[in-house]
Amino acid sequence: MLRRFRLEEPESVSEVSELLGRFGDSAKIYAGGTELLLAMKEGLVQYERLINVKKLKCKDVTLESGQVTIGALCTHHELETSQAIKENLPAFAKLEHNVANVRVRQVGTIGGNLCFAEPHADPGTLLIALDAKMIAEKSASTREISAEKFFIDAFETALEPDEVLTQIVIPAPTASARNAYLKFGYLERPSVGVAVAFNLNGQISSMRIAVGCAGPAPRRVQEAEALFEGKSKDDAERNLAEAGLLAGRAAEAISDLHGSQEYKEHIVGVLLKRAFLSALS
Amino acid sequence: MEFQKEVEIRAPREKVWRFIWDVDRFIACVPGCKEAKTIEEGKRYAATMVEKVGPFKVEFPTNIEVLEREEMTRIKAQASGADNKIGSRMKLDLDVNLRDEGDKTVLGFVAGVDILGKLAALGHGIIKRKADQVLDEFAQAVKKQLEGDS
Repeated sequence: MLRRFRLEEPESVSEVSELLGRFGDSAKIYAGGTELLLAMKEGLVQYERLINVKKLKCKDVTLESGQVTIGALCTHHELETSQAIKENLPAFAKLEHNVANVRVRQVGTIGGNLCFAEPHADPGTLLIALDAKMIAEKSASTREISAEKFFIDAFETALEPDEVLTQIVIPAPTASARNAYLKFGYLERPSVGVAVAFNLNGQISSMRIAVGCAGPAPRRVQEAEALFEGKSKDDAERNLAEAGLLAGRAAEAISDLHGSQEYKEHIVGVLLKRAFLSALS
Repeated sequence: MEFQKEVEIRAPREKVWRFIWDVDRFIACVPGCKEAKTIEEGKRYAATMVEKVGPFKVEFPTNIEVLEREEMTRIKAQASGADNKIGSRMKLDLDVNLRDEGDKTVLGFVAGVDILGKLAALGHGIIKRKADQVLDEFAQAVKKQLEGDS
């Protein structure tokens, strides 16, 4: 059962930040509520105040100066159906289309998903591979946090207690850009997710690989990237097995209901190979 | 969940043994442990354990009972506590042992931890990782305390 709480309805980011600063751990931002309300109903967390941020103007997707900017309050459904996302970041539109179920996608927001940092969430992994930046604002300042540094641990992000995630900025892929995200699981949430992003101009450059769901937080696995950098498509394909092993080991996988550490490491290798080939096709 | 750790301390065994029974100093090395008190010297203690994983916080008022004590060598203890707010319980079986290794002392412990109730919804992997971190921090803090003032 949901306990009583007070609902704050600020209209600006600085008001949200001020409320977070004033009430500290007894208040929490409420966006879509798909994760938060479940945890509250279960009695796992209790807050005296929820700060409803739905009145903030962070709901647009824009393409400007070579980057796609996503408002943190965009729902998963808005992103899976956004023309700008489908045209520029089809892999991200596909990922959003496969997030949870249609009820969650209708109300759950990308910002809420990233800030809750549930270890088995999908978007963070692809955003790391796409070299996205998170825009964090508070009353008097704004800063950029790379997606790679945003996720600290399970349910923990680099946001300061009074900071609000307002936008996600992704460099718009060029004509030579290739990327893909694949996941696998047999429970409600995925056991492993793997994202790849690179440029292909005869040879591979700017290779980025990220693994999520396997461990406490999504992480970039630079250990495997070097096997692709500067290689031709065929040479890179020959390195896939070794890269899969390296990526698996570097994934910091942990054993849980979604699979043992060894199992997840193996799946990382399988998904890396498939994601790379899918990005090429 | 079972954990095993060993920490090598540059201090004589007797000093390490005395430290273990100095409740205030010992408790200061346990991350998240507060309000420790002695109920019955050498046998029963009480403390409150506070731990946090992201927004999930637990506060276990814990009773600690020393079950066996082999002078300068081994302690077997059991601790249990419940967080009624979250509806979760914690049980810890702890086996602490000491041995000489040259001029150092090896402090080893085997801990069996059971978490029951809603907190378990966080998942075995996350809780195990957190418990592992707590034990690592504890081992390092003990080492620092004992080597720092030698």
